[in-house]
Amino acid sequence: MSAEFLVEIGTEELPSSFVRHALRSLDRSALELIAQARLGTEALSVHPMGTPRRLALRIRGLAERQPDRNETVMGPPWSAAFEKDGKPKKAATGFAKKHGVEISALRKQSTDKGDYVSAEVHEDGKPLADVLAELLPQLCQRITFPKSMRWGPGEIAFGRPIHWIVSLLGTDVIDFQFANIAAGRTTRGHRFLAPATFEIEDARNYEKALEDAHVIVDTEKRKARMLEGLLASAKALGGVLQPDAFLADECVSLVEEPFVVPGRFDEAFLQLPDEVVVSVMRDHQRYFAVRASEGGALLPSYLNVVNTAQDPDTIAKGNDRVLRARLADARFFVEEDLKAPLADRLKKLESVVFQSKLGTMGAKVRRLEANANAIAEWAGTDAAACQAAARICKADLETLIVFEFPELQGEMGRWYALREGMEQSVADAIRDHYRPQGADDSVPDQLVSAVVAVADRIDTLVGCFGIGLVPSGSADPFALRRAALGILRIALEGPLDVDLHALIAQAHSAYAGDADLKPAAEVDAALDDFFRGRVRAMLKDRHDADVVDACLGAWDGTSVRDLRTRIEAVSELRAAPEFEALAVAFKRAFNITKDSARGAIEPGLLEDGAESALAERFGTVRDQIREATGARRYADALKLVAKELGAPIDRFFDEVFVMVDDAKVRENRLRLLGEIADTVNGIAHFHQLGTKLQGRDPSVSA
Amino acid sequence: MTFQEIILALERFWAEHGCLIVQPYNSEVGAGTFNPHTFLRAIGPEPWNVAYVEPSRRPTDGRYGENPNRLQQFHQYQVILKPSPLDIQDLYLESLRALGTDPSRHDIRFIEDDWESPTLGAWGLGWQVWLDGLEISQFTYFQQCGGIDCKPISGELTYGLERIAMYLQDVDDVYELLWAPGIRYGDLYKRAEWEWSTYNFEQADTRLQKELFEEYEKQVAALLGLGDKRGKGGALRFDREPLKRLVLPAYDAVIKCSHYFNVLDARGAISVTERQRYIGRVRLIARAVAESWYAQREALGFPLLQTATAAQ
Repeated sequence: MSAEFLVEIGTEELPSSFVRHALRSLDRSALELIAQARLGTEALSVHPMGTPRRLALRIRGLAERQPDRNETVMGPPWSAAFEKDGKPKKAATGFAKKHGVEISALRKQSTDKGDYVSAEVHEDGKPLADVLAELLPQLCQRITFPKSMRWGPGEIAFGRPIHWIVSLLGTDVIDFQFANIAAGRTTRGHRFLAPATFEIEDARNYEKALEDAHVIVDTEKRKARMLEGLLASAKALGGVLQPDAFLADECVSLVEEPFVVPGRFDEAFLQLPDEVVVSVMRDHQRYFAVRASEGGALLPSYLNVVNTAQDPDTIAKGNDRVLRARLADARFFVEEDLKAPLADRLKKLESVVFQSKLGTMGAKVRRLEANANAIAEWAGTDAAACQAAARICKADLETLIVFEFPELQGEMGRWYALREGMEQSVADAIRDHYRPQGADDSVPDQLVSAVVAVADRIDTLVGCFGIGLVPSGSADPFALRRAALGILRIALEGPLDVDLHALIAQAHSAYAGDADLKPAAEVDAALDDFFRGRVRAMLKDRHDADVVDACLGAWDGTSVRDLRTRIEAVSELRAAPEFEALAVAFKRAFNITKDSARGAIEPGLLEDGAESALAERFGTVRDQIREATGARRYADALKLVAKELGAPIDRFFDEVFVMVDDAKVRENRLRLLGEIADTVNGIAHFHQLGTKLQGRDPSVSA
Repeated sequence: MTFQEIILALERFWAEHGCLIVQPYNSEVGAGTFNPHTFLRAIGPEPWNVAYVEPSRRPTDGRYGENPNRLQQFHQYQVILKPSPLDIQDLYLESLRALGTDPSRHDIRFIEDDWESPTLGAWGLGWQVWLDGLEISQFTYFQQCGGIDCKPISGELTYGLERIAMYLQDVDDVYELLWAPGIRYGDLYKRAEWEWSTYNFEQADTRLQKELFEEYEKQVAALLGLGDKRGKGGALRFDREPLKRLVLPAYDAVIKCSHYFNVLDARGAISVTERQRYIGRVRLIARAVAESWYAQREALGFPLLQTATAAQ
């Protein structure tokens, strides 16, 4: 086993996303290159590390030497390589030269396609150090960044300017050049706390040597140290840390050695909503908030993760001043906002563009009112409250505080609305109609919020589809996939399930006079398809994909909960022992009748025995099955199908040959099976369900 | 340190580090980048090291002199080092020492901040520099200027003088800053802030500003011989030899257009869709100037390249 290998690229301060991106590409490329060069062993481990000022990779378990390579390589067709008299042509000499073998060593190999030239190629494995020296420039070149830049003479592109490279195999430098810099053993410590250059003797000492120079190069270790400091400081302030995963990732990538410096602000600022105070601290200054207890009141303090803390008082004083100015600004915005009622902002929405072909936000709000009104009536809820909520839900976009802190949209509208004495459900809807904001967010639990949430999303969907703005690949600028998913989740997890076709029609008619959309039927068809795609993607994680597809096939695209009921009923049946036989039988019934004409069954043409038995049974239960299906009692319908039709249809296929020569008998038989297939298909498309046994085709085998 | 002492310290520091010390531009600019000593000199292969103060106007940032931190006119100290030297960060930190600030006693951080001027067709990558949580400088490696790829790359350092002075003098209100012994910032600029805010937000004649925009835009085309027709890939076409084009007066007209656009924006006289169009129009004439400047310097044999070679 070889010594430990280490490479470090020293740079100017890389943004946090750049470090993450670069380390991922470094890790991946290293593994690829090691595999290509046949250098891996069972003990191989690759460990990327990084700070804002360095990207590093530690590799353990490399082979000491590349194994030799022995391989038979196929070349050109024999006839293209040699003259009839055996004289080599250009193709032969080229091939031999490329693989470093003599012409006389080329062999004739017979294959299906004729005779070909082949060569036994032998390549001596090289010592690890030699291979590494060849691979390292490639490894560096393959590091990728979200954006690259050039500097100085402008010839090289990288995430930020490169200053030094360390490359050590054990105690030996592996020489190579990248970006006009020669690799060596000289590195640098913390920019301010250990600015002198120093040498690494042995790759094994790398982390320790840097730690002595105030650099914790391993991201996870640095993060653990930072969190420890944050928790301890919060405790010392008599409170608890408000956890913030995003901020933690951000802060850990802005320092090489984390120190925590607490600071304070005037308690009077706590009269602002908590969300404003936290946003000011987090977004502008990257400070952590401290609460009296978990979920308790904010303390007038903050925790600042810094890179240098030789003089904490000076640092705290400076940061206090910045935060004071920021909070004073925020308070000014809130005070200005409070001078006029929220509804006064509606005028301003008239000059804000929603989408250039779809008009202004003002027009959108009017459509939301109409949509909310209609939906409220379908849902049998308070239409006045829903309409009022729809009217006011976007007003806070024109407040100063939301202009400054866009992530507070909804939250601040609710806060202002409650201060004005607006009804609780209406105020809540200003905040909650944006939910669910992502996969991790829950859906609104109140009906008014849900109504506005659906009214808003369907307006965006119908408008964008109406002007042909549909998501393609990764491009979805209006987040239409998320909007559709929101409507579906509100139906399945929340309080509101509406007829999607009626919803699309309503939203389309609301655009009259605002925008020139494609015809309603066209938009409905496209959106129906879109909703099906979304709901399929969502439900196939929880249910068998073929069950979802079978039910989607029978679903009319109206109620999402109806689709779920079907899926649950079919899933339940699938778990039962009789499922397999049933599914196979209905598949056969469907397949054999899919192109045949339907019509009334002629009892006189039925054969005694299995056929008339099936017809008789089906005649008795058909209406019950259809009634249960119509009433959306799919589990009941399927129980009837299984109990009443299972045995007769099995017997039918065992005993009766369908495709008889007598046309009248045959057509009558197909009409019977066709009607049975159609009845069952009303619940779910059984022919789309996977079965262990494939249905025998009776027309061939019986 | 008074405001003027800060300026003097920076002038001395950068003069000692090989920069030409030049003067602010005599037209309304939004930032030191607009000064031709930066915008034009960052284009092409010629080396260039320069430093200067730039009074910069941002009409929309005006607060009638009532906000202790926001101004419609403030002062930048601008440094251009072309090509950017590898020790540019160290030089910058040393310049803070020249202001009496020991970087190791404070928390100084380089926070990602990419810069783009859509009107100038210029962009770069770099940082804002934080001193104990306060953004005191912008640090940018220019990648493109006037739509032309930069080579070599200029390093641009921009100091926010008011912020640095407030920090050094330990005051919370910009108008309380000492400009010189006995004279405060407010004595010089408080009334000016009120007048210009009132002008920019309430009284600027929008018809006149629009007309001026149009006329100066036409001037650029006339002074450069810029035709309406575009070549392959939208290439600009000029019907005049590079040395016959009046690049500097044309660039002045670009600066005027940019400023009138800013005033119209502050007056709320431009809709969202119009806004993009205005920006596109300024970017086009800025590009025409940038290309003409390059062609002109090339026709002259890039004189400063020869001076630099001779000096070596």
